[in-house]
Amino acid sequence: MSSPTEPPGYAAAAATPLIVPTGRRARLTRALGSSGAAYVFLFPWLAGFLILTAGPALYSLYLSFTDYDLINPPRWAGMDNYMRIATNDPKFQDSVRVTLTFVLLSVPLKLAVALGVAMLLNRGLRGLTIYRAIFYLPSLLGTSVAIAVLWRQLFAGDGLINNLLLGIGIQGPSWISSPDTALYTLVILAIWQFGSPMIIFLAGLRQIPVDIYEAARMDGASKARQFWRITLPMLTPVVFFNAVVQTIDAFKAFTSAFIISGGTGGPINSTLFYTLYLYQEAFGYFRMGYASALAWILLIIIALFTAFSFLSARYWVHYDD
Amino acid sequence: MTRFGTGRYAALASVAATALLAGPAIGQDGGDLRMLWWGSQPRADRTFEVIDMYEEANPDVSIQGETVGWSDYWTRLATQVAGRNAPDVMQQDYRYMFEYAGRGALLDMMPYRDEILTLPGVSEESLESGMSDGKLWGVSLGVNSVAMMVNETIFEEAGVPLPENGATWEEIKQLAIEVAEKSDRIDYGVEDSSLYENSFQNWLRQRGKDLYTAEGELAFEESDVVEWYEFWADMRESGAAPPADVQALDQRSIETHMVSLGNVAMGFAHSNQLVGFSAINEDEIVMRVFPLVEGSTNEGHYFKPSQLLSVAASTEFPEVSVDFVNYFITDTEAGKVLDVERGVPISDEVRDAIRSELDEDGLAQLEYIEALDPYAGPLPPPPPQGAGEIDQMMARVGQEVAFGQLTPEEGAARLVSQAESILSR
Amino acid sequence: MTDVRAAETEQEPQDRSILRSILTHALLIAFSFAMLYPILWMLSASFRPTDEIFSSTSLIPSQVQVRSYPEGWFGLRVSFGQFFVNSMVIAVLSVIGNVAACSLAAFAFARLNFPWKNFWFALMLGTLMLPYHVTLIPQYVLFLNLGWVDTILPLVVPKFMATDAFFIFLMVQFFRGIPKELDEAARMDGCSPFRIYWKVILPLSLPVLATAAIFSFLWTWDDFFGPLIYLNSMEDYTVQLGLRSFIDATGQSNWSGLFAMSILSLLPVFLLFIFFQRLLIDGIATTGMK
Repeated sequence: MSSPTEPPGYAAAAATPLIVPTGRRARLTRALGSSGAAYVFLFPWLAGFLILTAGPALYSLYLSFTDYDLINPPRWAGMDNYMRIATNDPKFQDSVRVTLTFVLLSVPLKLAVALGVAMLLNRGLRGLTIYRAIFYLPSLLGTSVAIAVLWRQLFAGDGLINNLLLGIGIQGPSWISSPDTALYTLVILAIWQFGSPMIIFLAGLRQIPVDIYEAARMDGASKARQFWRITLPMLTPVVFFNAVVQTIDAFKAFTSAFIISGGTGGPINSTLFYTLYLYQEAFGYFRMGYASALAWILLIIIALFTAFSFLSARYWVHYDD
Repeated sequence: MTRFGTGRYAALASVAATALLAGPAIGQDGGDLRMLWWGSQPRADRTFEVIDMYEEANPDVSIQGETVGWSDYWTRLATQVAGRNAPDVMQQDYRYMFEYAGRGALLDMMPYRDEILTLPGVSEESLESGMSDGKLWGVSLGVNSVAMMVNETIFEEAGVPLPENGATWEEIKQLAIEVAEKSDRIDYGVEDSSLYENSFQNWLRQRGKDLYTAEGELAFEESDVVEWYEFWADMRESGAAPPADVQALDQRSIETHMVSLGNVAMGFAHSNQLVGFSAINEDEIVMRVFPLVEGSTNEGHYFKPSQLLSVAASTEFPEVSVDFVNYFITDTEAGKVLDVERGVPISDEVRDAIRSELDEDGLAQLEYIEALDPYAGPLPPPPPQGAGEIDQMMARVGQEVAFGQLTPEEGAARLVSQAESILSR
Repeated sequence: MTDVRAAETEQEPQDRSILRSILTHALLIAFSFAMLYPILWMLSASFRPTDEIFSSTSLIPSQVQVRSYPEGWFGLRVSFGQFFVNSMVIAVLSVIGNVAACSLAAFAFARLNFPWKNFWFALMLGTLMLPYHVTLIPQYVLFLNLGWVDTILPLVVPKFMATDAFFIFLMVQFFRGIPKELDEAARMDGCSPFRIYWKVILPLSLPVLATAAIFSFLWTWDDFFGPLIYLNSMEDYTVQLGLRSFIDATGQSNWSGLFAMSILSLLPVFLLFIFFQRLLIDGIATTGMK
């Protein structure tokens, strides 16, 4: 994401990341009342977190140091699971490579498409509602088993895509079942379901006051300049949100590979997403302890990515506060 | 539909304690059971009907039936078992059953054999498939075996004679090449079965070997795998079998099977799946036994359960549960409702009772099983823990060989070393 | 405050703008077809005989049969009408829970200051990161002990406790876009934080609240994993569980019934989407900002 050289005149003077309270914020809070009020607001979440989320999460952390076959009580295994993952697990390495490739390809492309379409749809066009709804349709199909059937119809050796390619004289492979290309069909599926970030971008675009553009036009700024100088900077909180959330989602991607590869992650582990591997270990091979260790390693990887995003945010995300 | 209040734990504990002290001898009159099975609509209809019939005959028993598809089943069952909320009666798969039994989740039904699980019309032999170490973990819901699915329509259109039972692999190869050439609907004759454990096992058994020994070790040599992979490499090169990227479309479900996708005229599956194949294929599908190797022992096939019915070790109502199993398997009226949808019934009485009511596919299934004896050998020892993982690993290594990433020798070495490492884990 | 209409207020020479608009529409329609193809395919599959679904690549069925709709609707032991009611109840409760609980938490994170705020915020994000497969069983045991299994409570109550951090994070990002001056003005008038939340922030946040409502509804509607684990008896099944009951990879599946009911299951969400997204647009136009 390229950063504008200077933020628009009357947007926030400086980017203020959430994690650094400013003097102004502190002042405001003092005025608003004690932190007691804050905890009242937080209560439902805090209660839910402590009762429903933290307990099971900590238990899975404990399980990651055990052998647990789902049926017999867990047996303490110390660092065994982690040691095995680090030293003796080729499938772990395969799944990390597959997942990283998927994240690095699908997230930027999906965000770019979502933003592009959102900008196209943000104009006063006739039939906007219909377009918007149509573009959201693929996302509605999210976990449907129908997707698996459909994707095969599209990307098999004698599928629709190859028939189109034949028209221009190219004989394509069976995309969905070749180890070199299967993952890319899942990337395409992810991009095709760009509905959620698109809606969020739209909501963000709607929040940008029109008079900024009017002012810019009066100054003779070109369309491109308006995009780089106004739209993108004003949209950075939303871009940031989408980037973080989509990255987390892509790391945890499961269902598409599960239904399209029939749960195997094949051919030859080429679509073995990390969580699919984890699922196989937990529910296919009765190794919940090992799966829990995998889950906590994933959590650390995602947390590092997210922390990096938040640190970088102070240089490119502009909040109006 | 919530039957359990918050106090169910105390109740469960006390009942379990009583049952433990008293042993299976005390009579239980009623109970609230849950039964879980996988399958789809036709199976659900039949099963619910039998549940209703049983409830009518036993007014103090109520059974809540729960059903989901195969791919969701194991997650649901594992969660319930792990949460100590296992269904009292559950459908089990031949392989998974031993995983559950080995970990103590299933009830040994042997002690009930004399009084409750009387199983009239069922031979002792047909119970072996649900046993290990003399304990009975599940009763077969239907006799089943692997089968070659043949698209009769394609053969007829191409004017090629159908393969016959007892054909050798070499003959099948020639037939496959011929039918692929003469038919304009398919490019290849027979699916590449090098990835699949069932086919490999059948091939091994014809050579006097098997997948696993009774001790849970590998019962074949690396050289067997090399030969197997070389055989299939030749099948692919000769055009009899499809290349790896076509075969990889198969995800071991009926609708992704090479035969259903219309890529080949012959493929490999289980005999109870004929109904499923017929439903989604416009063409006529018939079954043949697996092809034979040179000098075959004629013992490649064996009768295995299509599914089994097991009772949870944690059940509050072991006697009622076992009685229901007995009813489900051997009652002739129940049998008529259940048909051969889960495979050919193991009870002779039920089999005779339903014969006249079977449709074409049902009859074909029954006749296939009845004609299988000359090609069938004894039941192999129960698969060891980890067999499921080895099966998946075999498919993966088979693909690596088929895609040319490994030579047959390298593939065989990897298969054996990874299988041994899984078994030792 | 000025009225906000987005870029449509641009004025250009008329003929140029017509050409432009035609081009844009052509682009959008071509794009729409790619987006719509699967739905068209499903629609066509739902009218086909089952044995034609997997062998034919054409969009036009060789013969049209509407049979699969009634057969799908009444095909399972419980009719799809019941599944639709169940799904609707769960989805509506989830929307209410998510919007209410998450906006409260988001207001605290976006507008208030309190000790350990960064810590809690990081934990909140952290809950997005743990794959649910490993917390499934402890959670199941928890709900089992509460006696909630086989009811909709495990699916709905967590929503009222804002366990879906996605929505908190989403709202935080949008709340922060609302000018602070508005809060301060309200505070000058003697408003408590609760009044500011209720009278200032929420009315200005209709677009993001509508977005959250849409996503809550759609995702709950699409979810099958939670219902699969927590709903045992078919009377309580949701639409997604009903759909999955048609399919059994190892045996006989009712594919045409699946596709017919899949099409029907898209209808309510599609209509709801159209309704709510209007709210999204109207919301911003009527409030206006800055």
